[in-house]
Amino acid sequence: MPSPAPATAVAPIRVPLLAWLLAAVALIVFYLLLQENGLVVPGQVAEYLHEFTHDGRHALGVPCH
Amino acid sequence: MPLIAAEMTTPTLGGILQRGALAGVAAGVAASLVAFAVVEPVIERALTVEEARTAGEPAEEALVGRAMQVFGGMVAATAVAICLALVLAVVFAKVRHRLPGRTDFGRASLLAFLGFVAFALVPALKYPANPPAVGDPDTVNARTAQYLSLIAAAAAIAWLAVLVRQVLVARGFAAPVAVTGGVLTGLVGYGLILLIWPAGTGEIPSDVSPQLIWDFRVASLGELAAMWAVMGATLGLLLTPRTAKAAGAETVTVSA
Repeated sequence: MPSPAPATAVAPIRVPLLAWLLAAVALIVFYLLLQENGLVVPGQVAEYLHEFTHDGRHALGVPCH
Repeated sequence: MPLIAAEMTTPTLGGILQRGALAGVAAGVAASLVAFAVVEPVIERALTVEEARTAGEPAEEALVGRAMQVFGGMVAATAVAICLALVLAVVFAKVRHRLPGRTDFGRASLLAFLGFVAFALVPALKYPANPPAVGDPDTVNARTAQYLSLIAAAAAIAWLAVLVRQVLVARGFAAPVAVTGGVLTGLVGYGLILLIWPAGTGEIPSDVSPQLIWDFRVASLGELAAMWAVMGATLGLLLTPRTAKAAGAETVTVSA
């Protein structure tokens, strides 16, 4: 039985791997900005990043010391 | 010519990503403004508590000054908004045809609402935000793992809710029934993960008043709500044809 297309059919959009990689990079930047408490990036850079984004992290509800 | 109309109203992936980036900037500006006007005054109150603890001791040289931290908080909010908006745009392109709603504005707003629930509301209910002066450095990695895994689980529940609604529609259920099925899936799912995930470990020090904690949590949720609301609305608006005639093109296709 041929089923007619639903009345509200919306064409799917093909999402290639590259787009998912972009999303993954965005999530990694998100992690570094907000979660990094010395778990991945060690040393002075992490310390400065941590202090610079300190207010932002607390404000966005991310766990912090 | 309904076919051409349909092609005109299906946005390209590149178009969605560009609009997503712009939506991220707008959401970042909105969140930064709320951070500056609403959250920062509460953070100042918390810092007063922190300073009172070390009164009498020689002051430590801060690595980053206060003004820079306020600025940094706004930069962080903007960067986070852009990152999340890019993810939102990719996911929007992927699930657009699964989302209910007659317009891209409706679909983008719904997806941003689901994002707010998964990334902000569910974590706020289980592991609510705390101001500086609260938090044990020894437990931060454990708390971070709990927080991130809860967000991942909440995002999976949102995906499941969208899927359940779509399956119900495909099986011929009326739209309100299908939507109710999706909403119930979400509510039960969120309820379950809120029960299953370990309780928060953060203890509130006695010198931090409950009023300060409450004010901070409301302000924090306000900043996140502003971010997601502006993100979804901007993405939806930018995907909307400028004139009613063009916007109606899809309606023609639907009724054809």
